[in-house]
Amino acid sequence: MEKKRLVPWSVYFGLETEFGISVLENADIDVVEESIHLVRSASQLGSPNLWDYTKEDPHQDARGFRARELRQDADEANFFSQDRQRPYSFEEIKSDFVLRNGARLYNDHTHPEYSTAECSTLIELIAQDKAGERILEECAKASSKKRRHTVCMYKNNTDFAGHSYGCHENYLIPRLIPWDRLVEGMLPFLITRQIYAGAGKLGWEREDHGMPGGYQISQRADFFTELVGIDTMNRRPIINTRDEPHANPKLYRRFHVILGDANLSEFSTWLKVGTTALVLEALQYERIPKRFFLADPLYAHRSISRDPKFRWEIELAQGGRTTAIELQSDYADWVARYVDLDHPEKEKVWKAWKETLQTLATNPYALKDRLDWMAKFWLLQTFREDQNLSWEDPWLQSLDLEYHLVDRSRGLFYALESAGDIIRLTTDEDICQAIQQPPSSSRAFVRGKCIQRFSKDLINVQWDYIAFRFNGQTYRLDLASAFPGVDLEVYCEVIDNAKSVGDIVKNLNLKPMGN
Amino acid sequence: MKNNMEVIMLMPEQGQKNKQVIPAPGPGGGSGPGPQAPQVEKPNTEEILKRMRKVDPDQARRYRQRTGE
Repeated sequence: MEKKRLVPWSVYFGLETEFGISVLENADIDVVEESIHLVRSASQLGSPNLWDYTKEDPHQDARGFRARELRQDADEANFFSQDRQRPYSFEEIKSDFVLRNGARLYNDHTHPEYSTAECSTLIELIAQDKAGERILEECAKASSKKRRHTVCMYKNNTDFAGHSYGCHENYLIPRLIPWDRLVEGMLPFLITRQIYAGAGKLGWEREDHGMPGGYQISQRADFFTELVGIDTMNRRPIINTRDEPHANPKLYRRFHVILGDANLSEFSTWLKVGTTALVLEALQYERIPKRFFLADPLYAHRSISRDPKFRWEIELAQGGRTTAIELQSDYADWVARYVDLDHPEKEKVWKAWKETLQTLATNPYALKDRLDWMAKFWLLQTFREDQNLSWEDPWLQSLDLEYHLVDRSRGLFYALESAGDIIRLTTDEDICQAIQQPPSSSRAFVRGKCIQRFSKDLINVQWDYIAFRFNGQTYRLDLASAFPGVDLEVYCEVIDNAKSVGDIVKNLNLKPMGN
Repeated sequence: MKNNMEVIMLMPEQGQKNKQVIPAPGPGGGSGPGPQAPQVEKPNTEEILKRMRKVDPDQARRYRQRTGE
Protein backbone atom coordinates (compact mmCIF):
# COMPACT_ATOMS: atom_id res chain seq x y z
CA MET A 1 0.00 0.00 0.00
CA GLU A 2 1.53 3.32 -1.03
CA LYS A 3 2.43 5.86 1.63
CA LYS A 4 -0.09 8.66 1.46
CA ARG A 5 -1.42 11.09 3.98
CA LEU A 6 -3.80 9.11 6.14
CA VAL A 7 -7.31 10.49 6.03
CA PRO A 8 -9.18 9.43 9.17
CA TRP A 9 -12.60 7.78 9.04
CA SER A 10 -15.32 9.52 10.98
CA VAL A 11 -15.42 6.77 13.61
CA TYR A 12 -12.94 4.61 15.48
CA PHE A 13 -12.46 0.88 15.12
CA GLY A 14 -10.47 -1.68 17.07
CA LEU A 15 -9.88 -5.41 17.51
CA GLU A 16 -9.67 -7.50 20.68
CA THR A 17 -8.10 -10.90 20.18
CA GLU A 18 -7.93 -13.80 22.61
CA PHE A 19 -5.00 -16.10 21.83
CA GLY A 20 -4.75 -19.82 22.39
CA ILE A 21 -1.80 -21.01 24.44
CA SER A 22 -0.05 -24.36 24.85
CA VAL A 23 3.26 -25.85 25.81
CA LEU A 24 4.96 -28.06 23.26
CA GLU A 25 6.51 -30.49 25.73
CA ASN A 26 3.48 -30.90 28.00
CA ALA A 27 -0.13 -30.92 26.84
CA ASP A 28 -1.46 -31.03 30.39
CA ILE A 29 -0.19 -27.66 31.50
CA ASP A 30 -2.39 -25.16 33.33
CA VAL A 31 -3.22 -22.67 30.57
CA VAL A 32 -4.15 -19.93 33.02
CA GLU A 33 -0.82 -20.18 34.82
CA GLU A 34 0.99 -20.05 31.48
CA SER A 35 -1.11 -17.09 30.42
CA ILE A 36 -0.25 -15.15 33.58
CA HIS A 37 3.47 -15.69 33.10
CA LEU A 38 3.27 -14.92 29.41
CA VAL A 39 1.47 -11.59 29.76
CA ARG A 40 3.76 -10.45 32.57
CA SER A 41 6.75 -10.80 30.29
CA ALA A 42 5.52 -7.75 28.34
CA SER A 43 6.54 -5.42 31.17
CA GLN A 44 9.03 -3.45 29.13
CA LEU A 45 6.28 -2.30 26.76
CA GLY A 46 3.74 -0.93 29.19
CA SER A 47 2.57 -0.03 32.67
CA PRO A 48 0.74 -2.53 34.89
CA ASN A 49 -2.43 -2.33 36.97
CA LEU A 50 -3.72 0.99 35.67
CA TRP A 51 -6.94 -0.20 34.07
CA ASP A 52 -10.07 1.16 35.75
CA TYR A 53 -12.50 -1.77 35.94
CA THR A 54 -15.05 0.19 37.96
CA LYS A 55 -16.32 1.87 34.81
CA GLU A 56 -16.91 -1.33 32.83
CA ASP A 57 -20.42 -2.74 32.62
CA PRO A 58 -20.89 -5.70 30.25
CA HIS A 59 -24.52 -6.04 31.48
CA GLN A 60 -25.65 -2.81 29.82
CA ASP A 61 -27.89 -3.79 26.91
CA ALA A 62 -28.31 -1.75 23.72
CA ARG A 63 -32.02 -2.61 23.70
CA GLY A 64 -32.43 -0.10 26.50
CA PHE A 65 -32.09 -2.07 29.73
CA ARG A 66 -29.50 -3.57 32.03
CA ALA A 67 -29.36 -7.38 31.97
CA ARG A 68 -29.79 -8.81 35.46
CA GLU A 69 -27.38 -11.61 34.67
CA LEU A 70 -25.47 -13.03 31.75
CA ARG A 71 -25.43 -16.72 30.92
CA GLN A 72 -21.70 -16.61 31.31
CA ASP A 73 -21.84 -15.19 34.85
CA ALA A 74 -21.85 -18.70 36.35
CA ASP A 75 -18.89 -19.77 34.20
CA GLU A 76 -17.03 -16.59 35.04
CA ALA A 77 -17.73 -17.07 38.76
CA ASN A 78 -16.52 -20.65 38.48
CA PHE A 79 -13.31 -19.59 36.74
CA PHE A 80 -12.86 -16.81 39.28
CA SER A 81 -13.33 -19.24 42.16
CA GLN A 82 -10.74 -21.63 40.66
CA ASP A 83 -8.34 -18.79 40.06
CA ARG A 84 -8.66 -17.59 43.65
CA GLN A 85 -7.02 -20.81 44.75
CA ARG A 86 -3.87 -19.72 43.01
CA PRO A 87 -1.10 -18.01 44.96
CA TYR A 88 -1.71 -14.72 43.13
CA SER A 89 -3.70 -11.55 43.78
CA PHE A 90 -6.46 -10.41 41.39
CA GLU A 91 -4.03 -7.87 39.91
CA GLU A 92 -1.38 -10.52 39.40
CA ILE A 93 -3.83 -12.85 37.67
CA LYS A 94 -5.13 -10.11 35.42
CA SER A 95 -1.62 -8.81 34.72
CA ASP A 96 -3.20 -5.86 33.02
CA PHE A 97 -0.84 -3.71 30.97
CA VAL A 98 -1.59 -0.49 29.17
CA LEU A 99 1.04 -0.50 26.46
CA ARG A 100 3.12 2.32 25.08
CA ASN A 101 1.33 1.95 21.73
CA GLY A 102 -2.03 2.67 23.39
CA ALA A 103 -3.15 -0.97 23.36
CA ARG A 104 -4.11 -3.25 26.25
CA LEU A 105 -2.61 -6.65 27.02
CA TYR A 106 -4.02 -8.72 29.84
CA ASN A 107 -5.07 -12.13 31.01
CA ASP A 108 -8.80 -12.51 30.46
CA HIS A 109 -9.10 -15.34 33.05
CA THR A 110 -8.62 -17.86 30.30
CA HIS A 111 -6.52 -16.39 27.50
CA PRO A 112 -3.94 -13.73 26.84
CA GLU A 113 -5.92 -10.93 25.21
CA TYR A 114 -4.58 -8.10 23.10
CA SER A 115 -6.87 -5.13 22.44
CA THR A 116 -5.57 -2.82 19.78
CA ALA A 117 -5.61 0.88 20.35
CA GLU A 118 -8.60 2.50 18.69
CA CYS A 119 -7.73 3.55 15.15
CA SER A 120 -9.32 5.88 12.64
CA THR A 121 -7.56 4.51 9.57
CA LEU A 122 -7.60 0.89 8.49
CA ILE A 123 -3.92 0.70 7.72
CA GLU A 124 -3.07 1.83 11.25
CA LEU A 125 -5.43 -0.84 12.58
CA ILE A 126 -3.69 -3.55 10.56
CA ALA A 127 -0.29 -2.42 11.84
CA GLN A 128 -1.58 -2.29 15.44
CA ASP A 129 -3.14 -5.76 15.10
CA LYS A 130 0.12 -7.18 13.74
CA ALA A 131 2.00 -5.38 16.54
CA GLY A 132 -0.06 -7.50 18.94
CA GLU A 133 1.08 -10.69 17.20
CA ARG A 134 4.71 -9.63 17.42
CA ILE A 135 4.39 -8.64 21.07
CA LEU A 136 2.89 -12.03 21.91
CA GLU A 137 5.52 -13.79 19.85
CA GLU A 138 8.20 -12.05 21.93
CA CYS A 139 6.31 -12.78 25.16
CA ALA A 140 6.20 -16.48 24.23
CA LYS A 141 9.96 -16.49 23.66
CA ALA A 142 10.64 -14.72 26.96
CA SER A 143 8.26 -16.94 28.87
CA SER A 144 9.70 -20.08 27.24
CA LYS A 145 13.18 -19.10 28.35
CA LYS A 146 12.10 -18.34 31.89
CA ARG A 147 9.94 -21.43 32.32
CA ARG A 148 12.25 -23.75 30.41
CA HIS A 149 9.68 -25.11 28.01
CA THR A 150 8.29 -24.03 24.65
CA VAL A 151 5.25 -21.77 24.93
CA CYS A 152 3.16 -21.70 21.74
CA MET A 153 0.70 -18.89 20.93
CA TYR A 154 -2.10 -19.40 18.42
CA LYS A 155 -4.15 -16.64 16.82
CA ASN A 156 -7.19 -18.81 16.18
CA ASN A 157 -10.64 -19.35 17.68
CA THR A 158 -11.03 -23.00 18.55
CA ASP A 159 -9.42 -26.08 20.10
CA PHE A 160 -11.47 -28.36 17.79
CA ALA A 161 -13.15 -29.88 20.87
CA GLY A 162 -15.96 -27.37 21.34
CA HIS A 163 -14.12 -24.58 23.12
CA SER A 164 -14.04 -21.28 21.32
CA TYR A 165 -12.53 -17.90 22.06
CA GLY A 166 -13.07 -14.69 20.21
CA CYS A 167 -11.70 -11.94 18.07
CA HIS A 168 -14.12 -9.11 18.74
CA GLU A 169 -14.44 -6.07 16.53
CA ASN A 170 -15.50 -2.68 17.81
CA TYR A 171 -16.95 0.11 15.72
CA LEU A 172 -17.79 3.42 17.31
CA ILE A 173 -20.81 4.70 15.43
CA PRO A 174 -23.33 7.51 15.86
CA ARG A 175 -26.09 6.64 18.31
CA LEU A 176 -28.57 8.28 15.98
CA ILE A 177 -28.71 5.08 13.91
CA PRO A 178 -31.86 3.38 15.24
CA TRP A 179 -31.03 0.05 16.93
CA ASP A 180 -33.56 -1.94 14.90
CA ARG A 181 -32.09 -0.56 11.67
CA LEU A 182 -28.68 -1.76 12.82
CA VAL A 183 -29.93 -5.23 13.67
CA GLU A 184 -31.77 -5.85 10.41
CA GLY A 185 -28.99 -4.19 8.39
CA MET A 186 -26.10 -6.09 9.91
CA LEU A 187 -27.60 -9.60 10.21
CA PRO A 188 -27.43 -10.63 6.53
CA PHE A 189 -24.15 -8.78 6.07
CA LEU A 190 -22.31 -10.38 9.00
CA ILE A 191 -23.60 -13.85 8.12
CA THR A 192 -22.40 -13.63 4.52
CA ARG A 193 -19.09 -11.75 4.93
CA GLN A 194 -17.40 -14.96 6.14
CA ILE A 195 -16.82 -15.84 2.47
CA TYR A 196 -13.87 -13.43 2.56
CA ALA A 197 -13.34 -12.93 6.30
CA GLY A 198 -13.31 -16.54 7.53
CA ALA A 199 -10.11 -18.10 8.83
CA GLY A 200 -11.06 -21.65 7.78
CA LYS A 201 -11.37 -24.77 9.93
CA LEU A 202 -11.20 -28.51 9.51
CA GLY A 203 -13.91 -30.22 11.55
CA TRP A 204 -17.32 -29.62 13.06
CA GLU A 205 -18.03 -28.49 16.63
CA ARG A 206 -20.68 -27.64 19.14
CA GLU A 207 -20.22 -26.54 22.77
CA ASP A 208 -17.77 -28.89 24.51
CA HIS A 209 -17.85 -31.30 21.60
CA GLY A 210 -15.80 -31.77 18.46
CA MET A 211 -16.30 -34.26 15.64
CA PRO A 212 -14.63 -35.13 12.37
CA GLY A 213 -15.98 -33.20 9.45
CA GLY A 214 -15.11 -31.44 6.28
CA TYR A 215 -13.48 -28.10 5.74
CA GLN A 216 -15.51 -25.03 6.62
CA ILE A 217 -14.68 -21.40 6.00
CA SER A 218 -15.47 -19.98 9.46
CA GLN A 219 -13.89 -20.95 12.78
CA ARG A 220 -16.73 -19.45 14.79
CA ALA A 221 -19.94 -20.30 12.90
CA ASP A 222 -20.41 -23.56 14.84
CA PHE A 223 -20.81 -21.61 18.07
CA PHE A 224 -23.66 -19.18 17.29
CA THR A 225 -27.15 -20.16 18.36
CA GLU A 226 -29.02 -16.85 18.84
CA LEU A 227 -29.91 -13.96 16.59
CA VAL A 228 -29.67 -11.13 19.10
CA GLY A 229 -28.41 -11.09 22.69
CA ILE A 230 -25.92 -9.76 25.19
CA ASP A 231 -23.99 -12.95 25.98
CA THR A 232 -20.57 -13.63 24.54
CA MET A 233 -19.54 -17.01 26.04
CA ASN A 234 -22.68 -19.14 25.95
CA ARG A 235 -25.54 -19.14 23.45
CA ARG A 236 -23.65 -16.57 21.44
CA PRO A 237 -25.70 -14.16 19.30
CA ILE A 238 -24.97 -12.98 15.78
CA ILE A 239 -25.84 -9.44 16.90
CA ASN A 240 -24.36 -8.64 20.29
CA THR A 241 -26.19 -6.03 22.33
CA ARG A 242 -23.45 -5.05 24.79
CA ASP A 243 -23.68 -1.30 25.12
CA GLU A 244 -20.47 0.22 26.44
CA PRO A 245 -19.64 3.07 24.08
CA HIS A 246 -16.41 4.17 25.79
CA ALA A 247 -17.25 7.60 24.40
CA ASN A 248 -19.98 10.19 24.94
CA PRO A 249 -22.99 7.86 25.32
CA LYS A 250 -25.42 10.47 24.05
CA LEU A 251 -23.63 10.69 20.73
CA TYR A 252 -21.97 7.31 20.21
CA ARG A 253 -22.61 3.63 20.32
CA ARG A 254 -19.95 0.90 20.17
CA PHE A 255 -21.15 -1.81 17.79
CA HIS A 256 -19.56 -4.94 19.19
CA VAL A 257 -19.11 -7.78 16.67
CA ILE A 258 -18.33 -11.16 18.23
CA LEU A 259 -18.88 -13.63 15.37
CA GLY A 260 -15.75 -12.88 13.34
CA ASP A 261 -12.64 -15.04 13.09
CA ALA A 262 -9.15 -13.94 14.06
CA ASN A 263 -7.32 -13.34 10.79
CA LEU A 264 -3.62 -13.66 10.11
CA SER A 265 -3.89 -12.30 6.58
CA GLU A 266 -3.62 -8.53 6.63
CA PHE A 267 -5.88 -8.37 3.59
CA SER A 268 -8.59 -10.44 5.31
CA THR A 269 -8.57 -8.18 8.38
CA TRP A 270 -8.52 -5.05 6.22
CA LEU A 271 -11.45 -6.18 4.09
CA LYS A 272 -13.43 -7.52 7.06
CA VAL A 273 -13.19 -4.33 9.10
CA GLY A 274 -13.37 -2.01 6.10
CA THR A 275 -16.53 -3.46 4.58
CA THR A 276 -18.22 -3.63 7.98
CA ALA A 277 -17.39 0.03 8.62
CA LEU A 278 -18.76 0.94 5.18
CA VAL A 279 -22.07 -0.81 5.81
CA LEU A 280 -22.35 0.81 9.24
CA GLU A 281 -21.73 4.19 7.66
CA ALA A 282 -24.42 3.64 5.03
CA LEU A 283 -26.90 2.64 7.76
CA GLN A 284 -26.68 6.20 9.06
CA TYR A 285 -28.64 7.24 6.00
CA GLU A 286 -30.99 4.40 5.16
CA ARG A 287 -32.19 0.97 6.18
CA ILE A 288 -31.36 -1.98 3.96
CA PRO A 289 -33.89 -3.08 1.35
CA LYS A 290 -36.18 -5.85 2.62
CA ARG A 291 -35.05 -8.06 -0.25
CA PHE A 292 -31.74 -8.52 1.65
CA PHE A 293 -33.47 -10.25 4.60
CA LEU A 294 -32.60 -13.91 5.09
CA ALA A 295 -35.23 -16.59 5.65
CA ASP A 296 -33.24 -18.36 8.34
CA PRO A 297 -30.12 -16.43 9.41
CA LEU A 298 -28.81 -19.04 11.87
CA TYR A 299 -29.13 -21.84 9.36
CA ALA A 300 -27.52 -19.68 6.65
CA HIS A 301 -24.61 -18.85 8.95
CA ARG A 302 -23.59 -22.50 9.33
CA SER A 303 -24.60 -23.73 5.91
CA ILE A 304 -22.44 -21.10 4.20
CA SER A 305 -19.52 -22.04 6.40
CA ARG A 306 -19.93 -25.76 5.70
CA ASP A 307 -20.73 -25.73 1.99
CA PRO A 308 -18.05 -28.00 0.47
CA LYS A 309 -18.83 -26.74 -3.01
CA PHE A 310 -18.31 -23.06 -2.19
CA ARG A 311 -21.64 -22.12 -3.76
CA TRP A 312 -23.05 -20.56 -0.56
CA GLU A 313 -26.68 -20.57 -1.58
CA ILE A 314 -29.15 -19.01 0.84
CA GLU A 315 -32.90 -18.65 1.15
CA LEU A 316 -34.36 -15.14 1.19
CA ALA A 317 -37.18 -14.08 3.51
CA GLN A 318 -39.24 -12.71 0.63
CA GLY A 319 -38.87 -15.97 -1.25
CA GLY A 320 -36.35 -17.28 -3.72
CA ARG A 321 -32.69 -18.02 -3.33
CA THR A 322 -29.49 -16.11 -3.80
CA THR A 323 -25.85 -16.69 -2.89
CA ALA A 324 -23.61 -15.09 -0.29
CA ILE A 325 -21.56 -13.62 -3.14
CA GLU A 326 -24.59 -12.03 -4.79
CA LEU A 327 -25.94 -10.68 -1.50
CA GLN A 328 -22.55 -9.19 -0.58
CA SER A 329 -22.40 -7.66 -4.04
CA ASP A 330 -25.86 -6.17 -3.51
CA TYR A 331 -24.62 -4.73 -0.22
CA ALA A 332 -21.62 -3.17 -1.97
CA ASP A 333 -23.85 -1.55 -4.62
CA TRP A 334 -26.21 -0.30 -1.93
CA VAL A 335 -23.33 1.13 0.16
CA ALA A 336 -22.02 3.04 -2.87
CA ARG A 337 -25.23 5.08 -2.91
CA TYR A 338 -24.59 6.53 0.56
CA VAL A 339 -20.87 6.47 1.39
CA ASP A 340 -18.40 9.03 0.10
CA LEU A 341 -16.08 6.87 -1.98
CA ASP A 342 -13.79 9.82 -2.70
CA HIS A 343 -12.20 9.02 0.66
CA PRO A 344 -9.04 7.15 -0.47
CA GLU A 345 -9.18 4.25 1.99
CA LYS A 346 -12.94 3.76 1.60
CA GLU A 347 -12.57 3.70 -2.15
CA LYS A 348 -9.82 1.07 -1.95
CA VAL A 349 -11.84 -1.12 0.35
CA TRP A 350 -14.95 -0.83 -1.81
CA LYS A 351 -13.07 -1.73 -4.99
CA ALA A 352 -11.29 -4.65 -3.30
CA TRP A 353 -14.66 -5.83 -1.97
CA LYS A 354 -16.16 -5.94 -5.47
CA GLU A 355 -13.08 -7.55 -6.99
CA THR A 356 -12.89 -10.18 -4.27
CA LEU A 357 -16.53 -11.12 -4.77
CA GLN A 358 -16.04 -11.38 -8.51
CA THR A 359 -13.01 -13.62 -8.02
CA LEU A 360 -14.85 -15.77 -5.49
CA ALA A 361 -17.53 -16.34 -8.13
CA THR A 362 -15.16 -17.26 -10.92
CA ASN A 363 -11.93 -18.58 -9.44
CA PRO A 364 -11.79 -18.66 -5.62
CA TYR A 365 -8.44 -20.47 -5.65
CA ALA A 366 -6.87 -17.30 -7.00
CA LEU A 367 -7.52 -15.73 -3.57
CA LYS A 368 -5.15 -18.04 -1.73
CA ASP A 369 -2.68 -15.16 -1.52
CA ARG A 370 -5.09 -12.97 0.48
CA LEU A 371 -7.93 -14.87 2.19
CA ASP A 372 -7.06 -16.96 5.23
CA TRP A 373 -9.64 -19.67 4.62
CA MET A 374 -8.49 -20.20 1.05
CA ALA A 375 -4.76 -20.07 1.87
CA LYS A 376 -5.29 -22.74 4.53
CA PHE A 377 -7.54 -24.81 2.28
CA TRP A 378 -4.89 -24.79 -0.41
CA LEU A 379 -2.20 -25.83 2.11
CA LEU A 380 -4.26 -28.72 3.46
CA GLN A 381 -5.30 -29.84 0.00
CA THR A 382 -1.69 -29.80 -1.19
CA PHE A 383 -0.49 -31.75 1.84
CA ARG A 384 -3.38 -34.21 1.62
CA GLU A 385 -2.46 -35.06 -1.96
CA ASP A 386 1.24 -35.25 -1.10
CA GLN A 387 0.65 -37.70 1.75
CA ASN A 388 -2.42 -39.40 0.29
CA LEU A 389 -4.51 -38.62 3.38
CA SER A 390 -8.27 -38.57 3.81
CA TRP A 391 -9.95 -35.33 4.94
CA GLU A 392 -10.65 -37.02 8.29
CA ASP A 393 -6.97 -37.59 9.05
CA PRO A 394 -6.10 -35.85 12.36
CA TRP A 395 -2.78 -34.74 10.92
CA LEU A 396 -4.67 -32.19 8.80
CA GLN A 397 -6.30 -30.70 11.90
CA SER A 398 -2.86 -30.35 13.46
CA LEU A 399 -1.74 -28.48 10.35
CA ASP A 400 -4.83 -26.30 10.64
CA LEU A 401 -3.67 -25.38 14.17
CA GLU A 402 -0.12 -24.81 13.01
CA TYR A 403 -1.35 -22.29 10.42
CA HIS A 404 -2.20 -19.99 13.34
CA LEU A 405 1.06 -20.26 15.27
CA VAL A 406 2.41 -16.72 15.73
CA ASP A 407 6.01 -17.94 15.95
CA ARG A 408 7.18 -16.82 12.52
CA SER A 409 9.91 -19.44 12.33
CA ARG A 410 7.38 -22.29 12.61
CA GLY A 411 3.86 -21.06 11.83
CA LEU A 412 2.43 -22.14 8.48
CA PHE A 413 0.81 -18.81 7.68
CA TYR A 414 4.22 -17.22 8.11
CA ALA A 415 5.79 -19.89 5.93
CA LEU A 416 3.48 -18.76 3.15
CA GLU A 417 4.09 -15.12 3.86
CA SER A 418 7.88 -15.42 3.92
CA ALA A 419 7.72 -17.29 0.61
CA GLY A 420 5.93 -14.29 -0.86
CA ASP A 421 2.71 -16.23 -1.30
CA ILE A 422 0.62 -13.85 0.84
CA ILE A 423 -0.14 -10.23 0.02
CA ARG A 424 1.11 -7.67 2.55
CA LEU A 425 -0.44 -4.29 3.26
CA THR A 426 2.08 -3.15 5.86
CA THR A 427 5.85 -3.30 5.98
CA ASP A 428 7.95 -4.75 8.81
CA GLU A 429 8.90 -1.17 9.63
CA ASP A 430 5.22 -0.20 9.99
CA ILE A 431 4.76 -3.03 12.48
CA CYS A 432 7.91 -2.16 14.45
CA GLN A 433 6.64 1.41 14.64
CA ALA A 434 3.21 0.19 15.80
CA ILE A 435 4.80 -1.84 18.62
CA GLN A 436 6.49 1.26 19.97
CA GLN A 437 4.11 4.07 19.06
CA PRO A 438 0.34 4.64 19.20
CA PRO A 439 -1.69 5.39 16.07
CA SER A 440 -1.34 9.03 15.15
CA SER A 441 -4.95 9.82 14.33
CA SER A 442 -6.94 8.72 17.36
CA ARG A 443 -7.17 9.45 21.07
CA ALA A 444 -4.91 6.43 21.61
CA PHE A 445 -2.05 8.78 20.75
CA VAL A 446 -2.71 10.64 24.01
CA ARG A 447 -2.90 7.39 26.02
CA GLY A 448 0.25 5.93 24.48
CA LYS A 449 2.30 9.08 24.95
CA CYS A 450 1.17 9.37 28.58
CA ILE A 451 2.31 5.77 29.19
CA GLN A 452 5.61 6.50 27.52
CA ARG A 453 6.35 9.75 29.33
CA PHE A 454 4.28 10.16 32.46
CA SER A 455 3.45 6.65 33.66
CA LYS A 456 4.61 7.35 37.22
CA ASP A 457 1.99 10.10 37.47
CA LEU A 458 -0.94 8.03 36.19
CA ILE A 459 -3.61 6.79 38.60
CA ASN A 460 -5.88 4.95 36.21
CA VAL A 461 -6.77 4.64 32.57
CA GLN A 462 -9.86 3.79 30.53
CA TRP A 463 -10.48 3.96 26.81
CA ASP A 464 -12.05 7.40 27.18
CA TYR A 465 -10.07 9.02 30.00
CA ILE A 466 -6.75 9.18 31.77
CA ALA A 467 -6.48 10.18 35.43
CA PHE A 468 -3.23 11.43 36.92
CA ARG A 469 -1.80 12.98 40.03
CA PHE A 470 -0.25 16.42 40.13
CA ASN A 471 0.71 18.39 43.22
CA GLY A 472 -1.34 16.08 45.45
CA GLN A 473 -4.50 16.53 43.37
CA THR A 474 -6.24 14.19 40.90
CA TYR A 475 -6.91 15.42 37.39
CA ARG A 476 -8.81 13.66 34.66
CA LEU A 477 -8.23 14.14 30.96
CA ASP A 478 -11.56 13.31 29.33
CA LEU A 479 -11.19 11.72 25.88
CA ALA A 480 -14.85 10.83 25.37
CA SER A 481 -15.25 13.37 22.59
CA ALA A 482 -11.67 13.49 21.33
CA PHE A 483 -11.93 12.83 17.61
CA PRO A 484 -9.99 14.13 14.63
CA GLY A 485 -11.23 17.66 14.12
CA VAL A 486 -12.84 17.74 17.59
CA ASP A 487 -10.35 18.40 20.41
CA LEU A 488 -7.97 15.62 19.39
CA GLU A 489 -5.39 17.74 17.59
CA VAL A 490 -5.21 20.13 20.56
CA TYR A 491 -4.74 17.26 23.03
CA CYS A 492 -2.03 15.69 20.86
CA GLU A 493 -0.13 18.94 20.55
CA VAL A 494 -0.28 19.58 24.30
CA ILE A 495 0.89 16.05 25.12
CA ASP A 496 3.67 16.26 22.53
CA ASN A 497 5.00 19.50 23.98
CA ALA A 498 4.44 18.78 27.68
CA LYS A 499 7.55 18.49 29.84
CA SER A 500 5.49 17.31 32.82
CA VAL A 501 1.88 16.58 33.71
CA GLY A 502 1.80 20.12 35.09
CA ASP A 503 2.01 21.38 31.52
CA ILE A 504 -1.00 19.23 30.60
CA VAL A 505 -3.01 20.63 33.54
CA LYS A 506 -2.06 24.18 32.66
CA ASN A 507 -2.43 24.05 28.89
CA LEU A 508 -5.71 22.14 28.88
CA ASN A 509 -7.02 24.15 31.83
CA LEU A 510 -7.94 21.00 33.80
CA LYS A 511 -9.59 21.34 37.20
CA PRO A 512 -8.79 19.06 40.17
CA MET A 513 -11.42 16.38 40.82
CA GLY A 514 -11.16 16.51 44.58
CA ASN A 515 -9.85 13.64 46.65
CA MET B 1 -40.01 2.21 11.77
CA LYS B 2 -40.30 -1.02 13.74
CA ASN B 3 -39.29 -1.08 17.34
CA ASN B 4 -36.58 -3.46 18.60
CA MET B 5 -38.92 -6.21 19.67
CA GLU B 6 -40.66 -6.31 16.31
CA VAL B 7 -37.38 -6.89 14.53
CA ILE B 8 -36.25 -9.52 16.99
CA MET B 9 -39.56 -11.34 16.69
CA LEU B 10 -39.60 -11.05 12.92
CA MET B 11 -36.38 -12.91 12.26
CA PRO B 12 -37.13 -16.25 13.99
CA GLU B 13 -40.59 -16.28 12.44
CA GLN B 14 -39.07 -15.95 9.01
CA GLY B 15 -36.68 -18.73 9.94
CA GLN B 16 -39.53 -21.16 10.52
CA LYS B 17 -40.53 -21.02 6.89
CA ASN B 18 -37.66 -23.28 5.99
CA LYS B 19 -36.83 -26.29 8.04
CA GLN B 20 -33.59 -27.30 6.43
CA VAL B 21 -30.94 -29.64 7.67
CA ILE B 22 -27.40 -28.36 8.17
CA PRO B 23 -25.08 -30.34 5.90
CA ALA B 24 -23.87 -33.40 7.76
CA PRO B 25 -20.19 -33.81 8.54
CA GLY B 26 -18.37 -35.26 5.61
CA PRO B 27 -15.44 -34.72 3.39
CA GLY B 28 -14.96 -31.14 2.35
CA GLY B 29 -12.66 -29.89 -0.24
CA GLY B 30 -14.62 -28.40 -3.06
CA SER B 31 -14.71 -31.65 -4.96
CA GLY B 32 -17.58 -32.33 -7.33
CA PRO B 33 -19.25 -29.66 -9.37
CA GLY B 34 -18.05 -26.73 -7.22
CA PRO B 35 -15.29 -24.30 -8.15
CA GLN B 36 -12.45 -25.87 -10.04
CA ALA B 37 -8.76 -25.41 -9.31
CA PRO B 38 -7.30 -22.84 -11.69
CA GLN B 39 -4.94 -23.88 -14.42
CA VAL B 40 -2.02 -21.89 -13.10
CA GLU B 41 1.62 -22.69 -12.62
CA LYS B 42 2.07 -24.40 -9.27
CA PRO B 43 4.46 -22.52 -6.98
CA ASN B 44 7.39 -24.36 -5.42
CA THR B 45 5.73 -26.17 -2.55
CA GLU B 46 8.62 -28.37 -1.44
CA GLU B 47 9.87 -26.06 1.31
CA ILE B 48 6.50 -25.62 2.88
CA LEU B 49 5.67 -29.31 2.57
CA LYS B 50 8.91 -30.04 4.39
CA ARG B 51 7.79 -27.81 7.24
CA MET B 52 4.33 -29.39 7.27
CA ARG B 53 5.74 -32.91 7.46
CA LYS B 54 7.46 -31.94 10.72
CA VAL B 55 4.16 -31.08 12.42
CA ASP B 56 3.14 -33.66 15.01
CA PRO B 57 -0.02 -35.42 13.68
CA ASP B 58 -1.45 -35.54 17.23
CA GLN B 59 -0.90 -31.90 18.03
CA ALA B 60 -4.52 -30.80 17.61
CA ARG B 61 -5.78 -33.74 19.67
CA ARG B 62 -3.69 -32.58 22.62
CA TYR B 63 -4.57 -28.88 22.24
CA ARG B 64 -7.21 -27.97 24.83
CA GLN B 65 -8.34 -24.49 25.84
CA ARG B 66 -10.90 -22.96 28.15
CA THR B 67 -13.92 -21.40 26.48
CA GLY B 68 -13.33 -17.67 26.18
CA GLU B 69 -15.46 -14.77 25.14
